[in-house]
Amino acid sequence: MASEAGEGSTAGMDDYETLISTTDVELLKKAWRNEKAAPEILRFETSLIQRIRGQIQLMEENIEEFAGSGIDPLTVSLYQMDLDRTQYLFRSYLRIRLQKIEKYMFHISKNPEVQSRLSEQEKGFARRCADDMERHLEESVLSKLPDNYQDTVKQSIISEESDMIPEPQLDSFVVCKSRRFLGPFQLDGSDELLEMKPDELCIIHYKSIRERVQEGDIDLV
Amino acid sequence: MYGRKACQLVKELASGEKGQLTPYNSDLFDQVIAECSQHHLELQSLIRKMQEEGLDVQTTRNADHYGALIHHLSLVRNKRCLMAYMYNRAEIIRSLIWKVGPVLPQQIQEKLSHTEEEYFKKHSGALQSYMSRLDLDLTVDMVPPKDPYIQVRVLDDIGVVLSDDKTTNFARHSMHFLKRTDAEQFISRGLMEELTS
Repeated sequence: MASEAGEGSTAGMDDYETLISTTDVELLKKAWRNEKAAPEILRFETSLIQRIRGQIQLMEENIEEFAGSGIDPLTVSLYQMDLDRTQYLFRSYLRIRLQKIEKYMFHISKNPEVQSRLSEQEKGFARRCADDMERHLEESVLSKLPDNYQDTVKQSIISEESDMIPEPQLDSFVVCKSRRFLGPFQLDGSDELLEMKPDELCIIHYKSIRERVQEGDIDLV
Repeated sequence: MYGRKACQLVKELASGEKGQLTPYNSDLFDQVIAECSQHHLELQSLIRKMQEEGLDVQTTRNADHYGALIHHLSLVRNKRCLMAYMYNRAEIIRSLIWKVGPVLPQQIQEKLSHTEEEYFKKHSGALQSYMSRLDLDLTVDMVPPKDPYIQVRVLDDIGVVLSDDKTTNFARHSMHFLKRTDAEQFISRGLMEELTS
């Protein structure tokens, strides 16, 4: 299924090709795969998402027009299928991000660098998420505990730093693929050097390739 | 033994089926809270005793100091267990919003504590406001689409529904060929099932 989402409309219609610019759907698919496989939340693809939304809207309008103007229902349903796939990728991308925000809300709310990776709406959501959770924990647990033990993210008043925040496991393993030849680079915490050839699959600690995923040199699979 | 009840509470959580809520155990929860207060009382009385003996609480290392330390550690451990219990339940509750939508069925609601119900409402409110700011419904298209149309059987009397400017009568046990996006909302509420051949 995945390979067809972008190219579903090769059955003619040049003007249509320009509307569904293959590259954007491909880019979305890549962003979606990366987001799905990465243990932490990645940078929000602001402009890509904006373009995709515009394209989805155009496609919807086109399909409606086609359906009204008596074009072969089969053709229309093929366009519909293409649209559905794009819609799924798009929604799923946003959903995965929301679920990560839900999971690491305290980590995000204490960490401006992570916050800068979110979209405006996601920031609002993250804030509300953390506020609601904090209130919930306060009402159900913390308010019933003795005075010095009521902090949400510290075990007790003598803890020097916040020691109760769930964080993403950056040293978990991911499967990844490089897009171009990457010269020998050093892995975190070991002396070994690693070379990556294009399209070669690697299983590796996420944190060793973290920057390269952000820069787009390496894709997660 | 100190900490045993809190441990039971967490075990209950861990032994539950993944993604399923167990009924909120308010009895055990309150007992652990009571244990915490008890620890705190003993902790304070030990410290007071040391102060009355004229010892420096910060530096003295006698039996009372270690006694107090044990109470402190037990308290912290209990707190972590309680927080883990609440936090992990909250995680399941959040996942329910995705699975069953903003209205919980009676059977699930019975398993929640009062504050958890509140939390469910607030969090689904947060999600709603995110979606309305984006003007996008994220609760549809939950599975990758294979075919834009699917065959469904109606499980409960839904009645006449308007979609795409035509009306359909979804009587119980009738079968229909519907757009996946239209059918999904009914399937997630348990009113229809997808027929797979």
